[in-house]
Amino acid sequence: MLSSRNNVVRALTVTATAALVIAGLGACSSDADGGGGDASSFPEGDINFIVQAAAGGGSDLTSRALSAELEGILGTSIVVENRPGASGSTAMQYVADQEADGYTIGFAPVEVSMLEHLGFDVLPENYDFLGQVMFSPGVIAVPADSPYDSLDDLVEASQDEAITVANAGAGSIWEAATLGLAEESGADLTPVPFDGGAPAVAAALGGQVDAVVAGAGETVQANADGTLKILALFNDEVHPMLEDVPTAESEGYDLMFGGWGGIYAPTGLPDDVKQALSDAIAEAAESDSFSDAITPSGALPTYKTPEEFTSFVESESERFAGLLGGN
Amino acid sequence: MNPIVEGLESLLDPVVGLGLLLGLLLGMLVGAFPGITATMAVALASGFTLTLEPVQGLAVLLTIYVAANFGDRVPSILVNTPGTPASIATTLDGYPMAKQGRAGLALVISAMASAIGILASMILFTAAAIPIARLALQFGPSEMFALVVFGLTVMISISSKSILKGVLAGALGLALATIGRDPITGDQRFTFGFDALSGGLDFIAIIIGLFGIAELFDQLLTHHAAKVRPISSLGRWWPTKAEYRQSGRALGVGTATGLVVGVIPAAGGDIAGLIGWDRAKRVSKNPEAFGTGSIEGVTASDSASSATLGGSLTTTMALGIPGDSVMAVMIGSMIIWGIQPGPSLFANRPELVVSITAIMVIATLASLLISLVRMKGMVKLLDVPVHYLWATILMFCIVGTYATTNNIITVVVMLVAGVVGLILKRTGFPAGPVVLGLLLGPLAESNLRRALLIDGPVGLVSSPISAVLLALAVFAIALPLVGRARAARRARRSDGDDGPAEHPGDDSSLRSTTTSKGL
Repeated sequence: MLSSRNNVVRALTVTATAALVIAGLGACSSDADGGGGDASSFPEGDINFIVQAAAGGGSDLTSRALSAELEGILGTSIVVENRPGASGSTAMQYVADQEADGYTIGFAPVEVSMLEHLGFDVLPENYDFLGQVMFSPGVIAVPADSPYDSLDDLVEASQDEAITVANAGAGSIWEAATLGLAEESGADLTPVPFDGGAPAVAAALGGQVDAVVAGAGETVQANADGTLKILALFNDEVHPMLEDVPTAESEGYDLMFGGWGGIYAPTGLPDDVKQALSDAIAEAAESDSFSDAITPSGALPTYKTPEEFTSFVESESERFAGLLGGN
Repeated sequence: MNPIVEGLESLLDPVVGLGLLLGLLLGMLVGAFPGITATMAVALASGFTLTLEPVQGLAVLLTIYVAANFGDRVPSILVNTPGTPASIATTLDGYPMAKQGRAGLALVISAMASAIGILASMILFTAAAIPIARLALQFGPSEMFALVVFGLTVMISISSKSILKGVLAGALGLALATIGRDPITGDQRFTFGFDALSGGLDFIAIIIGLFGIAELFDQLLTHHAAKVRPISSLGRWWPTKAEYRQSGRALGVGTATGLVVGVIPAAGGDIAGLIGWDRAKRVSKNPEAFGTGSIEGVTASDSASSATLGGSLTTTMALGIPGDSVMAVMIGSMIIWGIQPGPSLFANRPELVVSITAIMVIATLASLLISLVRMKGMVKLLDVPVHYLWATILMFCIVGTYATTNNIITVVVMLVAGVVGLILKRTGFPAGPVVLGLLLGPLAESNLRRALLIDGPVGLVSSPISAVLLALAVFAIALPLVGRARAARRARRSDGDDGPAEHPGDDSSLRSTTTSKGL
């Protein structure tokens, strides 16, 4: 009896430890005490950093790498909180609804300029954009045994029969890029949305589709292994990991498409808070350790000031209105 | 140096040993915690392991992955709540066994079946990762659609007491699966303008609700009954010789199913467990025991869902395509370490492949050992007075579900699913087909439409793989119906009083009937 009671106690202790460890694991969800206070001494408490995607993805990686830098620069704790779901709109609406005191900031992905045109209640004017930090350009690739060796080959072949092009999902940046390529080149392309980038690339590797539009980082290895041929990069300069791949521009198509990311906050930040945050973000984005953390996955460290980033988001939003406006 | 020696030697590092221990502890805990999946644990741990050497970091991450696959069986068996989706099928027979006072046996069998499943899949990984991965690429949208249609036929066997109720429950699952954005056009469906619904209903919240919370509500509402303790005794722990022999066939069928399903990207342990359970039931000598606490059922579902681990590892390492969501996170870490998974990994870094294999095997054996040794302590939890126990489980379910999205709506979805599950249970509708519909519906729809976009209707039958799978699906539906009709006719002819189709005791009865009457 006594030993059984001991066992119960022991089991409960184990459970309690489990709960603690798991609570620790989930610390990303803990609330920071972001009391306003005198703005001149910003920051006085922890800053919440909202990520629209689950832990482990590209947005999460960028956010955590940047936060680590920001902590040192601002001298405060940054609590990264993942609020995935509903194409990222859940997190974006959450950020827009927080108090504009600088204690809630977030990762602003390319979707912030797209979701409005897909029927979500996400408007760029609800945010103060504090600076762009990265750009991850897209590519178009074909299976290794494909008859097409250049973007021109593919565009030409599409005049006889529509070319199927896999992408990461309906309403994704890579679907928009496919539509943009079709519009720019006059090619007859059928976008085939998959459930994420990896299955889309797999469909091209397996030859189920004629081509795939995906992030450069998702295709680098297959290109190096010779299982996939990258035809063109959707950027105006050659990618350091893909030195032999021509840019779409050099092939005669003016195309810039990619997943970019920056930092935003609810609109209406006090000027000095905005200044403190954007200065810190500029410094963090240009640090070597941030760059080292994001480049292996194919992203390019790319800094834009708050003003440049704000007008960039506007122009992206207008561009996507044209491409995705059907919805 | 010989890559095998080099790969094994790198494991002698004491940090690797510590990593294994840490991974083991974390994996068991997150697995057993409903809602918190191995993916979340690996993602958060990867933030810390990046500063380690690759082999040290992989030891932590891979061990979490393996140990969670053992931990998640415990709540499935003891409280009918899958710790992660991979252990959904474990509830079908594991919980009835626990209710019959055979929890100890169920836990031991489950851990052994899981270990054998993983080890078998690691043998396949070691022997033929690259050719198998190439084969996996043959699975395009039309093949995937055919596989999923085949998977949907499992609905019939999970609901064999009343096929009508089972199919209706399955239809409910399929209907719920249409909520959200259209997978191809992105149009909103049944979202009523709420952005929160546009991602569809959260699958983890639904399974915790339908299985765990529904059971909990059921227990709360039956407090007038003399004894509502979920499990009255644990019974013996070790299987008898006859029981080992009896589960042999189920083990073979389950493992084979898991090996096949595992290498198909986008099909994981949850689907494999359900298909493996169904396959084993069809070849079993005692199919009527399935769903009522059959050892074979537990063996088949756990060996099948665990045997997918090696398959996921195969596509991940040999193609660079993540086999499941844990592997997607793992690839992210590996790339930062400067390791590019893909065919070249096997040529350029054979010693790393050896290390990975060895870590998986050690983690499996250690998890099995811990499961067998520590389970007696864990099960003592059930000596806690029932009102504390269920309250604690409810709290854990709420915290775990909230942690998946940090959004209270997910918790609301779980509780509503619990109420729906209770209604289904009280009216004799099985929850299994609802989950099956929810799991497979979106895969069936999106892959069908992709296949149609790519090749048109011809593509569905012109591929030999999909043609065979579709034919198997037709047989899977037709054979039990024919068998049933024949049995009914024979029963009538012999004027017997035990027509199998009419007697729940003779047919595999539903979990819901055993759970409400079992004690």
